Amino acid sequence: MNANESLEFAQTQVARASLDHCVKCTICETHCPVSAVTPKFTGPKFVGPQAERFRHGESVDHSLDYCSSCGACTLACPQGVKIAELNSQARAVMKADDMPLRDRLITQTTLMGMAMTPVAPVANAALRIKPVRTVVEKVLGIHRDAPMPHANTQTITGWLKKRKKPATHATRGTLIFFHGCAGGYFEVETSKKSIEVLEHLGYEVLVPKQGCCGLAEQSNGLFDGATDKVLKLCDELRTSGRDLTIISSSGSCTGMLKHEAHEIMGVDDVRLADVGTRIRDIMEFLLELYDADELPTDFKPIELTAVYHAPCQLKSQGMGQPAMEVLKLIPGVEAIESGATCCGIAGTYGLKKEKYEIAQAVGKPLFDKVKEVNPEIAYCDTETCRWQIRKGSGAAVEHPIFLVHQAYGLS
Amino acid sequence: MTRVVVIGAGVAGLVASIRLADAGARVALLNKGTGGLQLSQGTIDILGYAPERVERPLEALAGFAQAHPGHPYASLDAECVGTAAGYLKDLLGPALLVGDPAVNLQLPTAVGAIRPTALVSPSMTAGACVDGADFVIVGLRQLKDFYPELVAQNLARTEPPGGGRITARSVMLDFPARDGEIDSSGLTYARALDDPAYRRRFALAVKGVVGDAGTVGLPAVLGLDDHGAWADIAELIGAEVFEIPLPPPSVPGMRLNRALTERAKSAGVRVVPGSKVTGFHASGGSVRSVSLATAGGAREFVAEAFLLATGGFESGALHADSYHKVHESVFDLPLRIPEGTLVHGDYWGDPQPLFTIGVDTDENLLVRHPGGEPVHNNLYAAGGILAGATRWQEKSGEGIAVASAVRAADAILSVAATATSQGAAS
Amino acid sequence: MLTLSADVVVVGGGSTGAGVVRDVAMRGYKAILVDRADLGQGTTGRYHGLLHSGGRYVVSDPHSATECAEENAIISRIQADAVELTGGYFVATQVDDPAWGDEWAKGATETQVPFEEVSVADVLKAEPRLNPKISRAFKVQDGSVDGWQMVWGAANSAKQYGAQILTYHRVTKIERDGDRVSQVVCTDEKTGEEVRIDCNFVLNCAAAWGGQIAHMAGCPDVQVVPGAGIMIAMNHRLTNSVVNRLTYPADGDILVPVHTVCIIGTTDQKADDPDQLKIAWDEVQQMMDCGELLVPGFRKARAIHAWAGARPLVKDSRVGSGDTRHMSRGMSIIDHSDRDSLKGLLTIAGGKLTTYRLMAEKVVDAMCAQLDDPRPCRTATENVPGSESGKNYVITHRLEEREHDRHEDQILCECELMSRGMFTKALVKQPKGSFDDLRRQLRLGMGPCQGGFCTMRATGVALETEHIDIERATGLLRLFLKNRWIGIWPILYGDQVRQTALDNWIFQGTLDVEHLPGLTHEEVV
Repeated sequence: MNANESLEFAQTQVARASLDHCVKCTICETHCPVSAVTPKFTGPKFVGPQAERFRHGESVDHSLDYCSSCGACTLACPQGVKIAELNSQARAVMKADDMPLRDRLITQTTLMGMAMTPVAPVANAALRIKPVRTVVEKVLGIHRDAPMPHANTQTITGWLKKRKKPATHATRGTLIFFHGCAGGYFEVETSKKSIEVLEHLGYEVLVPKQGCCGLAEQSNGLFDGATDKVLKLCDELRTSGRDLTIISSSGSCTGMLKHEAHEIMGVDDVRLADVGTRIRDIMEFLLELYDADELPTDFKPIELTAVYHAPCQLKSQGMGQPAMEVLKLIPGVEAIESGATCCGIAGTYGLKKEKYEIAQAVGKPLFDKVKEVNPEIAYCDTETCRWQIRKGSGAAVEHPIFLVHQAYGLS
Repeated sequence: MTRVVVIGAGVAGLVASIRLADAGARVALLNKGTGGLQLSQGTIDILGYAPERVERPLEALAGFAQAHPGHPYASLDAECVGTAAGYLKDLLGPALLVGDPAVNLQLPTAVGAIRPTALVSPSMTAGACVDGADFVIVGLRQLKDFYPELVAQNLARTEPPGGGRITARSVMLDFPARDGEIDSSGLTYARALDDPAYRRRFALAVKGVVGDAGTVGLPAVLGLDDHGAWADIAELIGAEVFEIPLPPPSVPGMRLNRALTERAKSAGVRVVPGSKVTGFHASGGSVRSVSLATAGGAREFVAEAFLLATGGFESGALHADSYHKVHESVFDLPLRIPEGTLVHGDYWGDPQPLFTIGVDTDENLLVRHPGGEPVHNNLYAAGGILAGATRWQEKSGEGIAVASAVRAADAILSVAATATSQGAAS
Repeated sequence: MLTLSADVVVVGGGSTGAGVVRDVAMRGYKAILVDRADLGQGTTGRYHGLLHSGGRYVVSDPHSATECAEENAIISRIQADAVELTGGYFVATQVDDPAWGDEWAKGATETQVPFEEVSVADVLKAEPRLNPKISRAFKVQDGSVDGWQMVWGAANSAKQYGAQILTYHRVTKIERDGDRVSQVVCTDEKTGEEVRIDCNFVLNCAAAWGGQIAHMAGCPDVQVVPGAGIMIAMNHRLTNSVVNRLTYPADGDILVPVHTVCIIGTTDQKADDPDQLKIAWDEVQQMMDCGELLVPGFRKARAIHAWAGARPLVKDSRVGSGDTRHMSRGMSIIDHSDRDSLKGLLTIAGGKLTTYRLMAEKVVDAMCAQLDDPRPCRTATENVPGSESGKNYVITHRLEEREHDRHEDQILCECELMSRGMFTKALVKQPKGSFDDLRRQLRLGMGPCQGGFCTMRATGVALETEHIDIERATGLLRLFLKNRWIGIWPILYGDQVRQTALDNWIFQGTLDVEHLPGLTHEEVV
């Protein structure tokens, strides 16, 4: 199926057909973090199942663009309407003929990482210089204050090559590790710690050469590029063994593989289905081990009270908040649920100049909570959310695996 | 530790989860979407019409049950219902829920009818429709789900249940919830009213239009997370104030939902929202596990006991296909289905038989074949999924939900305790 | 009692009557139209929404096919705002013989119905929900039309030419003076007042009720057989083009997108009384099966409303009265001057909506002939009010309009994107209108929630703007809910059950409408 066919499939068979389940109950609207902070967005019920009955041909409702694709609506809907998917698809159609250059550029996350890494300190500095950012805002529409990734001097591949092989012998079998673009280039510590925890548990961890899952492009309506990327990634992840569980420390990328590529873009491919069923978010994996009485719980105490924020794209995978459950097992740790639907960044949404204020307003209650509970540190499973919370609250923000790593005595 | 899976996060599922977790069970609460509390009027009904208006619901239960043999109240008696209502009041606290389960309040609706209900938010009690009540009903121009003339004029021409007269007048206030917004939901107002500065301006504006006399009736938007917002507004206005429930989104319903969900989490309930239960495994007469359709594949939830609290047709727990075959959506349970036509064309006539369809249980809420043997020995049911009630017409939904949730939870705990003591003995 | 006078009284405000009164008024006669209810509440408001390309009749009724093709082009122009140029397909499903397409194509050529054969792949690309087992397809110029907009377009044009349109005026007698019609007697249903209209000519356009009207003029035995058929509106447009089965006309062989819904139809049952039409469960099942043939998964799609309409069929001695499908749909004009020694009365029956303008032209020509007063017809040359720009209806209209005005105007009916301003304007035009009268203008309550959220808003706004008092407001709220149910309960399954449960939860559970003051059985008009 090519990209157009995929889109049509998704529109007519999945999301559009699901609009029949909508009974106008308003539950989705009450969960929407964007319509909660601005009247510019009419809300998920309006732009999803309601407006879809009026769509054919020309796109006339541009307020749809304010949807951040956080997925809270689909998650909350008790009737099974695929609201977020409908919105994403309608937006892709709307933007098809008029895709801003900016949206094409900021979705090339692998390229960004690859380009930035060799010159990381300079790149990082440049991203902090106001005049540079002002120009970037004018030319590309990326807001001058939007949170930017922090490049690492060393990639994960570099680390893997250079480190000593792990001392412990693998007793539990083999896992495949998917680090995502950020985990490969920007948030390398997260990948390192994840791998070390898994090895500590007795697993052999394979890290095949791997690219981007295409999520940034998909969320901007660039379905062609996203489809190509996600299938290429599936091929790469499948090279390491067909029955192995794939672990990811990148919450939103996991979601792309588990369901978004299929439900939003209509990608219907055995490779995607295979990877999508084998992949686990790392905290999800640890909780599964715990439920099966297979997780060592000899955690060293850590005296810490901090906010944990479950990102939208993790919540929308429908497994609850496994990180919260795992953190409860570490003595001394009191993880306080953020209570926020969304931190505001929603992938690339909050970077855009016309969406920046909205994104900040969406995230404000979360930033305030972090400042109130523990202004030093907070925890979150996705990269862009960490950057957003870091910028909005001033706290350091880490993946919850950092606490598990520490509690196992690995740091 | 007994593991229990509760399916459905309406008022029945939430109450049962809390009760089970507080007693030491390991509870997973699975729901495919937000529960019905925020679609409801946000009060706790026990029995409103039998079919005549009910003033003392607990007293009326016995007679009602006799007249409706298959009704859940046939086995959930007044003592059970009264105790469960008390339990719910304790869980929520007097800032959120007041009232006496033995005596109905008669409160105005958003179209000006007078509706019986038992337990309410304290923000509603001043609206009691009794002889001599003198109301000024205030509408908000930017809120299209509330028309004060409709409320006031219908109340004024209705004799209140105890006899006498109500005087009511109406006034419309132009007061946006947000700058530039003329079409706001009740929730937008409620969030705005959580902010003390906005609240102050609002109260003063209301004060400016209501004049000196009368108890002030407002749409039920007086704050979402700040449970003292309504009282603050009353003080600022200098008059008694009451809220009138609106069609969804129900802010009073949301307050209850949020409070119960928080309480469940702090009791240690593992809440897993947003996925459907699409299968189960049973062996040896018991359900062993359910399959939850999360993204990327099904996940198994193993437990010793299971509680089905999935609601009725409105939630999709029951489904009538295009051949008019009715199914229960999770376990495909046998249903109690009335004989004859299920739907008729007399809108103002008798309740539609279709909506009395549901699962049959024994007096411990264990699901059974209609009038027969248990389907599984560890599958219970509570709330809207139970057969025999037309909840919205009788005004009985929350009473059935809470009473059945408490009894089902206690039945599960009792079986677990027996198993433990037997285990300890052997 | 009120007395009016006119040259011509037109009885019946369906497409026939509206077309006739327009033509009469444009030809310079003083005209008054009366209907016992709102315009288009008879067959016109209960039909399929199809503006025929003629393709359906190319083999079975070639004369009609040609007429439809010609009139289709005219109506699409003069009533542009009521017509959507959806286009249509004739498709051979797995139970149809694709070879019959040759006969069809031959018929289309001979009747001059524009068509083109298209590849199955192209059709499935254009309409991805269609059955992939289709074996042959032709494209035609079917369109969809809002029957009420069409009728009101014609009526408003008539008003521009001085006609009076009196809805809710029930005819009780037609008086004669010697051998000539002299007066039409009506009751104003809203006030109870008697209204007498002195006139020279009566055009009986009451269609399925035409026999009853003729009887009131002392002309018995006019046999108009109601051929009843049901139609079901599905919640969203499963296709954006009209889809017809490539076969000799059969039941349930057409799916028409009209506004936000698509309509499957229809059946064919002889009825005795056009006011007592039933929607039987087995007919509903039949339509579900027909839908499933065209669109796999149809049964899982959501039906939101059903209705039954009565085709007015003139009894033809060649056809038994039990088999109504094959009675001629061509119109007939009964001149009562010979038959009943009554001059000045013509009864019109039969016909189809697509050719309503042509029917009207012939009727008014016949009237002019009887009066020996030939005047030319100009109805094809002028667009009706509202269609002056010539721009056809598109489904995205309201979405675009609301995008622009939602910061100034609340949206009361969210399903159908009807704003408060639209509602209050309609109220001003029809201060005595029921919510159903207004619904026919605005689509209030015609979406998935079937009035669940908008009924209370409409009631509140009508009361607030002081067009009605509290008694009428409460009565109108009750009446609207009751009337919606008529078309819901016969198709209540699947998703619509959930909706009904929620709507009941709102109306009975939260609002307690059953205990509003006033008596539920006392209905307002």
